Amino acid sequence: MSEARQPVPESAEKWEVQLRKGSLELAILAALWDGRLYGLEILRYLENKSELVVVEGTAYPLLNRLRALGLVASEWVESDQGHPRKYYSLTAAGRQRALDMSRIWARFSGSMSNLLAPLKKETEDEFEQDMQDRSLKKDGRP
Amino acid sequence: MTLPTQARNATSLSSLKTIDAYLAALRKQLWELTPEDANDIVEEIRMHILDKTEDKTGDKTGDETASDTPPETFSATIAALGTPAELANKYCTEEMLARGRAARSPAYMARSVGRWALLTLVGVAVFSVSVVGYCLGGFLFMLGMLKLLHPFLTGVYGAWSEQNSYFSSSFRWQSGGPNTPDELLGWWLLPIGLIVGGGLLLLTFRFDNWSIRKFWRPRKWQEF
Repeated sequence: MSEARQPVPESAEKWEVQLRKGSLELAILAALWDGRLYGLEILRYLENKSELVVVEGTAYPLLNRLRALGLVASEWVESDQGHPRKYYSLTAAGRQRALDMSRIWARFSGSMSNLLAPLKKETEDEFEQDMQDRSLKKDGRP
Repeated sequence: MTLPTQARNATSLSSLKTIDAYLAALRKQLWELTPEDANDIVEEIRMHILDKTEDKTGDKTGDETASDTPPETFSATIAALGTPAELANKYCTEEMLARGRAARSPAYMARSVGRWALLTLVGVAVFSVSVVGYCLGGFLFMLGMLKLLHPFLTGVYGAWSEQNSYFSSSFRWQSGGPNTPDELLGWWLLPIGLIVGGGLLLLTFRFDNWSIRKFWRPRKWQEF
């Protein structure tokens, strides 16, 4: 593989992949906070809300694990148009876990921001430009 | 661009055949899970593929658009899911991880470690240690129980062989039991068997738990 020969740019991307992967569990629990959703709805919700693009092949097994852990419950629901869907909802343990995890997350990201304050000047312009580009893309404008 | 009806039917039929082939392969690979779980997963993935392919073709106004899925859309959906082997492996290892942590039952743990042994070398090592631990522990525990149930039939016998100067010992059922001179442990067999055997079982179980937490890594998914 030719990409492997350029360790510096790739390693940041790889790190991002790991970061996203690690936060996926919390993201899914958070997506279910307001009520039940089926698999594809969860994926779309994450995509729209957070631009967290989740690979299906990762999300479904993870959902199954959350179910095995008793954090989410699943049920098949017949729909009027089309086929039945498997809906997921948070259990009491799942709600508690989501709260715990989001507390940890808030604490972690707070201390991380403090740590990153010296780098802020350099990255902030890029970040704002990036966000603007993304919102333009979302609105469908060129 | 409109396709003649026959061609369109052929397209949708061939893509459906591929969905079924994909799901059949997936179902086969999910042998590790309970049949109910496996069937549930396969149905969920079927609905996902149907949703996904309908969605990408556009609105769901007519049956024709819904069923007429371009092959590349189907393959894109499949690409996101991974090959049946990849997807099944993720399901099984995620499930193993969840059960290994949640269920805490030796039977489930042994099964998990067995599955793990199929995946990695570390798994093989842990599996070997577990087999020895469970067997030895189980054997000793059983001896203790037998002593409790049939005290005069159960014993560990041994003697120094003067000629060859080695120690031979055996476990036998023998009438007379503890009273025979070469019986070694007597009633001690009961607590030793139960405690050492039980301890060994518990230790092995703990070891499995610990190894899974310490060494278990998701497998590098391979293309087939």
